[in-house]
Amino acid sequence: MNNTLHESGIDSTVSVKLEDINLSFGKTHVLKGIDLQIEPGEFFAFLGPSGCGKTTLLRLIAGFESAQTGQVTIGGKEVSYLPPWQRNLGMVFQSYALWPHMTIRKNVAFGLEERHIPRNEINRRTDRALELVGLLELADRRPSQLSGGQQQRVALARTIVIEPQVLLLDEPLSNLDAKLRIQMRHELLNLQRKLSITTIFVTHDQEEANTIADRIALMKDGVIQQKGTPVELYDKPANRFVADFLGTANFFEGKLKKLENRWMFQADNGLVIPVNDNGDKKNSGNCCVVFRPQNVNVTVDDRNNANNTIQFRGTVSSNEFLGSTIRYRVTVRGDDIFADVSHQQGQRLIENGTSVNLGIDQNQIMVVND
Amino acid sequence: MAISEWGTEAISEFRKHPGMAAVMLLISCFLLIFLVIPVIQVVFVAFTNATTGGFTLLNFKDFFNTALFRESFWNSIYVGVMAVVIASVFSMPLAYFTSRFEFKGAVIIQSLGIIPLIMPPFVGAVAMLMLFGRNGSVNLFLDQWFGFTIPFMEGLNGVIFVQSIHYFPFILINLSAALQNIDRSMEESAQNLGCSGMRLFRRIVLPLAMPGYIAGASLVFLKVFDDLGTPLLLNVNNMLAPQAYLRIASIGIKDPMGYVISVILVVIALGSMWLAMLTLKGKDYATVQKGGGGLAKRRMRPLEKFFAWIVVLLIMGLVLAPHLGLSLLSFGTIWSFSMLPDAFTFKHFATVFAETPEYMTNTVLYSALAATIDVILGTAIAYIVLRTKLVGRQWLDYVAMSAVAIPGLVIGIGYLRTFHGFNVPWLESRSLATWWVAIVVALAIRRLPYALRACMAALQQVSVSLEESAENLGAGKLSTVRKIVVPLMTGGILAGFVTSFATAAVELGMTLMLVSKNSDGPLSYGIYVYMQSAAGRGPGAALGIVAVVVVGLCTLFSYLFVERRQKKLGMGQTT
Repeated sequence: MNNTLHESGIDSTVSVKLEDINLSFGKTHVLKGIDLQIEPGEFFAFLGPSGCGKTTLLRLIAGFESAQTGQVTIGGKEVSYLPPWQRNLGMVFQSYALWPHMTIRKNVAFGLEERHIPRNEINRRTDRALELVGLLELADRRPSQLSGGQQQRVALARTIVIEPQVLLLDEPLSNLDAKLRIQMRHELLNLQRKLSITTIFVTHDQEEANTIADRIALMKDGVIQQKGTPVELYDKPANRFVADFLGTANFFEGKLKKLENRWMFQADNGLVIPVNDNGDKKNSGNCCVVFRPQNVNVTVDDRNNANNTIQFRGTVSSNEFLGSTIRYRVTVRGDDIFADVSHQQGQRLIENGTSVNLGIDQNQIMVVND
Repeated sequence: MAISEWGTEAISEFRKHPGMAAVMLLISCFLLIFLVIPVIQVVFVAFTNATTGGFTLLNFKDFFNTALFRESFWNSIYVGVMAVVIASVFSMPLAYFTSRFEFKGAVIIQSLGIIPLIMPPFVGAVAMLMLFGRNGSVNLFLDQWFGFTIPFMEGLNGVIFVQSIHYFPFILINLSAALQNIDRSMEESAQNLGCSGMRLFRRIVLPLAMPGYIAGASLVFLKVFDDLGTPLLLNVNNMLAPQAYLRIASIGIKDPMGYVISVILVVIALGSMWLAMLTLKGKDYATVQKGGGGLAKRRMRPLEKFFAWIVVLLIMGLVLAPHLGLSLLSFGTIWSFSMLPDAFTFKHFATVFAETPEYMTNTVLYSALAATIDVILGTAIAYIVLRTKLVGRQWLDYVAMSAVAIPGLVIGIGYLRTFHGFNVPWLESRSLATWWVAIVVALAIRRLPYALRACMAALQQVSVSLEESAENLGAGKLSTVRKIVVPLMTGGILAGFVTSFATAAVELGMTLMLVSKNSDGPLSYGIYVYMQSAAGRGPGAALGIVAVVVVGLCTLFSYLFVERRQKKLGMGQTT
């Protein structure tokens, strides 16, 4: 294991298992029946809007919150009743929480000192951790003398130097500017792969989660809505919230009906859309169909007759030129549909008020519960 | 080249604010005559050979060669340090309880942070003697039931005891604020890295709260070190401030020792402030992030709760003791060798209202005048410093603030020396130094820093654009200040007025030097005079109660006034 901070020689990557976690603050039920298994070495993201409980879940794993029911198992050992300082998990706080009264070196050495490791080894490992994040030459400065990106690296070094079983990251990139955020994202991923440490990452930014995480748990109102790889969540959303949260989606609300052994979707606006029978369990009743803007084909004339293509007419109500694509908003029977058309050099935008034909490949239409 | 540029800039700034420049000149003259020159005079005399008039260090050599002075010097240092230690012992658990636990006693602790400040320490000193002295209530009780006594009030102990009870809120308030400014994640990240319990407190919480503690502790040391009234009333004379007073009072203003001691008081005061500043430099540890705030609070376990309540009630008892003792003394007939006075009476109040009503009227007159001068100067200086770029404006601020480090006693001695020969033609005594107006001016100088800070804070909250829009609509500088700035600053100005008024009303060190006849004396002087004799303790205590009530009521009314006004204007503290 070259390049890693783990010196014990044995592969110490562990799994994290959460079973039936329920947590309330007073009358507010913050986490509801969370069940989750995070595999050893996995880069896992808790994603969701603010207030969904993702940070509380992370703090629960770290030991800063205690649940009313359920248990947390790390590496096969139950830790639900261990205080934070006995869990050996490394947490990077959103605010970095660097101690202003200590130098960078002191900050990084702190966790090792708490473990009563011999001084010369503390120095060696501190230097190595600082080297790993490229800050060795700034070791004698104080946190206030560093930039946001540098502080973030110190926070990371301070955490990984103790060789934690699991790395917990609470929105670690949210205090950085856009460019630095993308750079740090890659550095973080590289570091995680190098150390092959099980990592949990909390974020509200779907792009961040998509690019960095092996798997995502998308949360809302204290409930995990769906877990899976980024592609799974995008292509097979479990419900309308998931479809809407990841990327832009078009919806038609309506009912699913079985007509002559074929599933048909009867939209509230009157459209009838045949739905592929791909073996998924389907319920008749209220639901919606979802399709992505990039899968909507826009034509001014009426010659889109490819097989399996569902077509309807609408009127362009706005056009936004985004560079590589043009985003049209097309009104179809009172519903707004977004359509992204890739832009070719010299191509002119379709003007507002133009009646257009929209075509969608039937395979790209998903049915989800409301 | 840089100098000429700077010069033109200074001139153009002067052209922009000719009125303010004139005001600045006037204030500078005032501060020069009534603060700088008297203090320099004191320093000058300390280094002057009384017979030849030349420069000499002989006076300081004499000082350190006299056993009594050496003893006084170390006693003053000892009392200052011990008062800080005892005050810390009171404040630390209280600050810790409120910042760390969900504790019902938090309201009591907050009031404990204010109650002592209403009454100056020397007023309660004699009352504390009655309660905790050798033959005081507590020791009589202990002796009767347990057969031992505790020397709370013996010699220096008494000064330390009374002062630390009075001044511990300075540490409590600063320390609580510092603890509340530590972001929760600071503590959690340490726990995450394996740190907990006392180690966590020692390595993370304490260092982060240190700046707040030092700010409070240095203030306590300064106040205790300079205080004249408490040792005098407890009849402890082997300390620096009483020695200076006694030398001037008994030998006269020609004796150099009073000046030498004054210089030492000022140097130690400045030294402790400088030391505190040095320690605090670059240590603004306020770390609260959005959504954070304060240490993680938890519920107390029953046993913890029990001990917490015991500590809080014990400290509350001590804090209320001077007030209780003073009330007993003022309503009691004879109180000697007994736990409580023999009987109760209104006689003492009747005495002070009948015999010496001038103490009360003088106090209200002097303090109101001094506080008025302070807020006028404070507003003007704040405006000059924050809104103009006039050359030397920072110095105006520094000089005005420096009065904080000058003990009242030193100002008093400086005034006597400087204005003694300054004749006021229409006065009988013909000397400015013994005219009551000198007391008012000296009070104003002493309390200017409080009013100035309040005015600065108030003006900082008034957005410049509010002024600019008035100017844009045709209002001149003066009418902008009058119609926009001052009305918006009212809350802060009033706060400054109250602080100046309340603290001026109970100033003793300086008034003792400057009051030339009893009819010119304010309350604090009256209390001191009465308390000199055993028979005068009752009326003295009654005056003390009057002082507490006057200060308390004024503070309350102005607080209510500000509150109502803020509500009426529909604005919070910020604009």
